[in-house]
Amino acid sequence: MKGTPAVTRSSAAWSAAAAGRVSRQRMAQPNGWWGMALFLCAEVALFGTLIGSYFYLDFQSHQWPPAGIKPPGVVLPLLATAALALTSLPMLHAARSARAGRRGSVIALIVIALVVQCCYLALQILLFRHDLNQFTPQGSAYGSIYFTLLAVHHAHVLFGIVLDLTVLFFLVYRGLTNYWLIGVRGLALYWHVVNVLAVIVVFTQLSPSL
Amino acid sequence: MATVISPRAKPHVERLERIWTERPGLVGWVTTTDHKRIGIMYFFTALAFFGAGGVEALLIRTQLIGPNGTLLSPQAYDEVFTMHGITMIFLFVIPMTTGAFGNYLVPLMIGARDMAFPRMNALSYWIYLFSGLFMYLALLQGHAPNAGWFDYVPLASKKFDPGNNIDFYGYGLIFNGISSTAASINFIVTIFKMRAPGMSLNRMPLFCFAFLAVAFALLFALPSLSVAALFLELDRQLGFHFYDAAFGGAPLLWQNLFWIFGHPEVYIIILPAFGIATAIIPTFSHRRMVFFPLVALAEILVAFLGFGVWVHHMFTVGFATVTTVYFAAASLIIVIPSAIQLFSWITTILTGTPEFKTPLLFIVGFIVYFIIGGLSGVTLAAIPFDQQVHDSYYVVAHFHFVIFGAAVFPILGGMYFWFPKVTGRMYNETVGKVSFWLTFAGTFITFFPMHIVGILGMPRRNYTYPGGLGWSLLNFIESIGAYILASGLVLIVANLAVSRFRGAPAGNDPFEGDTLEWSTTSPPPPYNYPVIPTVSSPYPMWDEEDRKRDNRRLERGEGLLELGHETPASTVQDAQWDEILSMPSYSIWPPLTALMLAGVFTALVMQHYFIALGFLVADGLTLIGWHHKGVRT
Repeated sequence: MKGTPAVTRSSAAWSAAAAGRVSRQRMAQPNGWWGMALFLCAEVALFGTLIGSYFYLDFQSHQWPPAGIKPPGVVLPLLATAALALTSLPMLHAARSARAGRRGSVIALIVIALVVQCCYLALQILLFRHDLNQFTPQGSAYGSIYFTLLAVHHAHVLFGIVLDLTVLFFLVYRGLTNYWLIGVRGLALYWHVVNVLAVIVVFTQLSPSL
Repeated sequence: MATVISPRAKPHVERLERIWTERPGLVGWVTTTDHKRIGIMYFFTALAFFGAGGVEALLIRTQLIGPNGTLLSPQAYDEVFTMHGITMIFLFVIPMTTGAFGNYLVPLMIGARDMAFPRMNALSYWIYLFSGLFMYLALLQGHAPNAGWFDYVPLASKKFDPGNNIDFYGYGLIFNGISSTAASINFIVTIFKMRAPGMSLNRMPLFCFAFLAVAFALLFALPSLSVAALFLELDRQLGFHFYDAAFGGAPLLWQNLFWIFGHPEVYIIILPAFGIATAIIPTFSHRRMVFFPLVALAEILVAFLGFGVWVHHMFTVGFATVTTVYFAAASLIIVIPSAIQLFSWITTILTGTPEFKTPLLFIVGFIVYFIIGGLSGVTLAAIPFDQQVHDSYYVVAHFHFVIFGAAVFPILGGMYFWFPKVTGRMYNETVGKVSFWLTFAGTFITFFPMHIVGILGMPRRNYTYPGGLGWSLLNFIESIGAYILASGLVLIVANLAVSRFRGAPAGNDPFEGDTLEWSTTSPPPPYNYPVIPTVSSPYPMWDEEDRKRDNRRLERGEGLLELGHETPASTVQDAQWDEILSMPSYSIWPPLTALMLAGVFTALVMQHYFIALGFLVADGLTLIGWHHKGVRT
């Protein structure tokens, strides 16, 4: 259009190739990426508050965990968290493939990550139920913060899985348009942050045993 | 200097009008994604809650007009002063500043056609509305929150407050927090990415800097409140023990979490007022702001430092002296950025040619009360003095000078200032000045004697007091002041309401303002600007050449973006034109999503957890629908 600088129209990016081109030409990060990044700032503050509360209760107690509760087992949660953290790799490549306009590999990479994330969540639910048989959130402040911290973390994993499925659905149904390309990048960013938080959460959870 | 639309520009303007027009009538308001209409809905909703909070304030003052008042029972008094605090902070000041003023003005000031996420903007409004109604539902059914807006445990625990009063508080604030978080993300992205080409960060109006600082403060402060309220509800409804010392919990955990949110909140309340002041002062002083970069940095610094002072609300809980001294010092440091701004405002007024019309009068009132409230704040940062007057009316006097005198006066001035822009009509200047003096006098008469009764030992939050302690006359004066204040506020609303229909036409720029919103018509069209403005300074309306060039571009049909709901996106620092975005148009999904969320929280209060889960799933489905329809890119 005359008089307008030579910038891209995002609305013209209907095909995967065009969407990739728009994404590569853009100088700044797109709005959707910024929105997700800022949402994740709030999430980090949320987990910061939870973990801060954990140690606040820890430091002002005489015995942590209280008498009668065994310190948590270390091996299984650490292995599970390592597996979850590794899903950042397929997510990273999914975002790159999206910017290259390769829809097929984006879908494949998200599915790989999704399988691992689902296994992680299933294992964590089993561990959570196992812990609930040992001690309860109603028994002590330790139990309250322990189960709340883990449940909030698991809710974030579950939410991420729902996001995975949503993005996959629209990638199949709508294709890799500009909107869903930004969606893939936002999804990858979400998982990077949740994975880092998972590591911090697991070390908080295991701190009495370390 | 109204922009005359030349015959050559007319077809372009008509085409934009067709593209951007929303649906007519009530449906149009419900489905709107136009930041101006959302701003107006925020305004009226916040005004209604201001009225409710004001009635509660008058009930309190009437109860305390003399000793041994019997208007309210002790239980009713607790509910009334709690709802007064919650309403004024969460349902009036924040929605009025960020919601109404921010929504309406920030996109206009930065030359954008809408917010970065228009539908999420609508969602913020609907969640705010439903969360406000949710908390007032508690009042209607006679179980309003009754442990103060600070809601300290153990008083707020199930043991001492067995009804569901506090549950409405806990869930209501989490619910409300979603709205504010979404709004602050929206503001930051809008300010970072949607500025008109050429408006690099150093050319952005100070008003927008203030709103940027507020948005960041909200984003990082709210999670603390949400977590505190989550712990509270888990304690109350499921028998957890976060705050129960008998099971290893810590009542002080609540106070820490609450004030880690609560003190940044004070700056969240006052910073928009600073922003409004920096918009009104240059216009009526006819000169640029003194120390522009310092003021911008001071606005950001206030928001940042606000996170490091929360313990000054807790000087009497028994922390180690080294802790309290640190927080006292940190609290005093905030004087520095506040003083930078204060001296900048005063210097700008004194070195300009000030024209004391109603908006500037309110800003002068704001400066006076900010100084009084700021000085009493400095006295409260002195630990021994604080320990003497803690929980007395001295504290009430201090924070009402700050969050009524300083935070609300610019809101009132701003209402007058932008009234011609929003309605296209002028308010009545004489009545405006009378309303200012009534409000100004009422505020002083109401709140100043509270310093004295506080030092005389009158405790706050008590539903009555005995006679013969030397408090009665001062309380009587305070109550009379409250009625004067209320009459001033009613006069403001009446002035604006009558002027809306009878006022003289205002034209585009009645005050010769400095920022971009004055360049478009009053009220602005749905697309804000027919031609994307060019910007080369922080005072774009005073760059006449730029505005003339915009008009020539409009005639030539340049830079119109008329292929749909289009608006430019630019780079974060330098605002180089980066992309042309297609924005979503009207949508029914935001109100539906908010409604489902209201269902979730209502079910939670009633402890129907499976129904809550059902609403949550339904909420997720509305989000699928949100992305399914209307996404063109």
